[in-house]
Amino acid sequence: MALLEVEDVVAGYGAGPDILTGLTLSIEEGTSYCIVGPNGAGKSTLLRTIAGFLKPRRGEVRFNAKRMNGSRPDQMLAAGVCFVPQDASLFPTMTVKENLVMGGYLIEDRSLLQERLEAVYEAFPILKERRGQHAGTLSGGEQQMVTLGRALMIEPKMVMIDEPSLGLAPMIADQIFERIREFASLGITVVLVEQNAAKGLEAVDWGFVLDLGSLEFEGPADGILADPRIRDLYLGKAMARRRDAD
Amino acid sequence: MAVVEQREELVEGAPGRKPGTTARRVTLAISLGLVLFFPVIAYPIFDSYAYVMQLGMLLLMWIALSSSWNILGGFAGYISLGHGLFYAIGGYSAGLALAHWDISPFLFLPVAGLAAMVVGFLAGLITLRTRGPAFIVATIAMLFLGLLIFDNWEFIGASSGLDLPLIDLTWMTDLFGVENPVEFLKVPFYYAMAITAIGAVLLSYRVAHSKFGLGLRAISQDETKAEVAGINTRWYKVWAFALSAFFIGMAGAIYGYSLTHLRPLTFFAIAVAARMVLMAIIGGRGTVAGPILGAILILGVNEVAVRQFGESALNIVFTGLILLAALLFFPEGIVGSLRKAGRLPAFLDWD
Amino acid sequence: MEWVQILVLGLLLGGVYAMMASGLTLLFGVMRVVNLAHAAFILVAAYVTYVLFENLTLDPMISLVITMPLMFGLGVFLYLTLFPRLEESPRYVEMTVLLTFGLALIVEGMLTFIFTGIFRSVRPEYASTSLFIGDIFMPSSQLYASLISFALLILLWIVLRFTKTGTAIRATMQNRAAAQIVGVNVRKVSAIAFGIGMALAGAAGSLLSFMFPFFPGRHWQWVAFLLALIVLGGMGSIKGAVIGAMLLAVASAFVTDFFGPTWSPITFYLTLFLILMLRPEGLFGAKARL
Repeated sequence: MALLEVEDVVAGYGAGPDILTGLTLSIEEGTSYCIVGPNGAGKSTLLRTIAGFLKPRRGEVRFNAKRMNGSRPDQMLAAGVCFVPQDASLFPTMTVKENLVMGGYLIEDRSLLQERLEAVYEAFPILKERRGQHAGTLSGGEQQMVTLGRALMIEPKMVMIDEPSLGLAPMIADQIFERIREFASLGITVVLVEQNAAKGLEAVDWGFVLDLGSLEFEGPADGILADPRIRDLYLGKAMARRRDAD
Repeated sequence: MAVVEQREELVEGAPGRKPGTTARRVTLAISLGLVLFFPVIAYPIFDSYAYVMQLGMLLLMWIALSSSWNILGGFAGYISLGHGLFYAIGGYSAGLALAHWDISPFLFLPVAGLAAMVVGFLAGLITLRTRGPAFIVATIAMLFLGLLIFDNWEFIGASSGLDLPLIDLTWMTDLFGVENPVEFLKVPFYYAMAITAIGAVLLSYRVAHSKFGLGLRAISQDETKAEVAGINTRWYKVWAFALSAFFIGMAGAIYGYSLTHLRPLTFFAIAVAARMVLMAIIGGRGTVAGPILGAILILGVNEVAVRQFGESALNIVFTGLILLAALLFFPEGIVGSLRKAGRLPAFLDWD
Repeated sequence: MEWVQILVLGLLLGGVYAMMASGLTLLFGVMRVVNLAHAAFILVAAYVTYVLFENLTLDPMISLVITMPLMFGLGVFLYLTLFPRLEESPRYVEMTVLLTFGLALIVEGMLTFIFTGIFRSVRPEYASTSLFIGDIFMPSSQLYASLISFALLILLWIVLRFTKTGTAIRATMQNRAAAQIVGVNVRKVSAIAFGIGMALAGAAGSLLSFMFPFFPGRHWQWVAFLLALIVLGGMGSIKGAVIGAMLLAVASAFVTDFFGPTWSPITFYLTLFLILMLRPEGLFGAKARL
């Protein structure tokens, strides 16, 4: 049975237009996914809707077969869905360690919290090195590491990461993707949104192609990368639109 | 982008081209007629003529105040809680001219307006360095600074106030053979206030239908974009501030004269500023008809409340409650909400 | 040694100002609310203290135990009923200013209606005694109020630093979105923070009741004072509020000494005005500007 089901979801911001226009997709436990598509396709909006930051106007979001519509972000997190948004949303004047501890905010057991902290330090040695430094003083790549480490604190069933490579140098981005692969190897279901479709799809098992707020195509990640039609229609278009915007 | 779109909308909405012109003309004729002939019509109808005239004068005053406030607070979106300062400048400048040089405040009106406008211009130059909530707080600070100075300035009577000579009514007897001129005491004040209110509404209308007003609306929607679109936002805002002070100064001059005793708190009371804001918000910020409607409504509610409960502090409670309700349930005011619902009757549509 | 005397009196007053302002700055820090009704709520607590003293001769310093939880509850209630509706508004902060302006009018009107506009004061025995250390004299009321204020500020610091709710409040102050992401229920935390801010206003009211005579219209002046010192110290920073309070209280004590008491408010108004114009982030680099 699917871990997360999104059924015919319509969503948008404030009094604005629908960004998601009846989107349906399902996510299996233990698989990793990348959502690609042109700018404005609704990729980030989908993640925000699942994470509980945005209420669907219509349709249903089910996690573990439970209807989650209208749940708050903290309730989604408690259910096991962790969201890592685009901007490294850290607490700038807290230290790296304090940021990680905040990641375990929902954990009541202090010894468990300590255990998790050690585990994160092991997975991200750089964070242990920088633990006493204020998060606001870190480089972009390091900040992204903190957000990933912070997501690991809660040991979520599923983690959704929005544009992890945004604004990072290619070499640093590669390191980030490596970490994301490790998430998958820990048995955590990973859902990526990535503007750099090739990089994103390389890192995952399965790909979703979104356009105009609905699912256009899905399939094995390597298959999507190899399919020239999809490249031209959706992934190429993303590049073309981006040129237009500039 | 937003600016261009709005310009097209406004051209379409220019008077004469859109439906409802007749309705608006009729409304204009009836309102002007009512304002001008009210003292004549009211005389045979009401026993308490002086009271009714006083009420009429107050209504016209609040229309002038809220319409003027709306130029800055509505069109440009800069909410000031300090406009009591200009009310005081008008009241005191005319009062001093009368007390020290024996110049009738009615003749002095344009000077009182100009004095308020000059102070408004300077205040704008300084306070408009801030935006949003900081601007609101800055205008409160401006109001309190003004009150403190007026309260301690011996030349203008400090906190105990300034006594003005009573208005001379002998001309009524000389010219019209009126036997009991005191009965008509309020009539000259009424007409002076009518001129002020008409002037304020006319200014508001002219601003709404000018390139200047368009710029102000652009500023209120997105100041950065307006700047990028080539609007000199700083001067637009400062002029909006200065213009919004002019008729408030005139209204202050007339009102002060009608009181015959000027005290700083009469003008600087935060409740005065609160009312201007409240009327504009209730009626519809950034519209021409909104502040007028708001003034009629709030004064009406106030009048009923005073009759029911007397002149009590509960009136301030009502003011606050109405403000709260407006902010929570229809922040765009009567005109704004009706327009959004597509149900704005033509006679209220002056934008 | 007259200036030492002025300095001491200024610092004592500064302690109380700091506590009055800490609630206001906390509200701004956590939910970007500029609470123009803060001083009006301080007055509510002052009147509650007055009633308790007149009817039960309850010591105003003991009535803190009543005013603080009372105001906490009122704060949570007001936050939950009024503010979530505004959150969608694109001009949220401006709307909150107008909303709290309306609240202040309502409170002022109700207090005037119930207690009339005349001056009231609470006069326990220590309101008219004073202590001497050498030549320096300290009115007992100001000394006690200042000590309690500092105790409450330290308590606030402990709550914010060492409790789970406090951590959530600090996290929300630093980055609201990030707090939501790590599982903080920001609406609940905001409601609690609003309650804490109001509880501090409650304490301030009880203390003020025996320091100064008060009447309902007084709160506008006070809220302008409080805004001045938190803008000086940097909006949203409690440390800044304490420093701002000390600086302005001492400055206004000297202004009073040189120019007379009528001009002492000008210290606050001018500071507020000038800081907003020239250095809106405050003197000490605030976390956020107004």
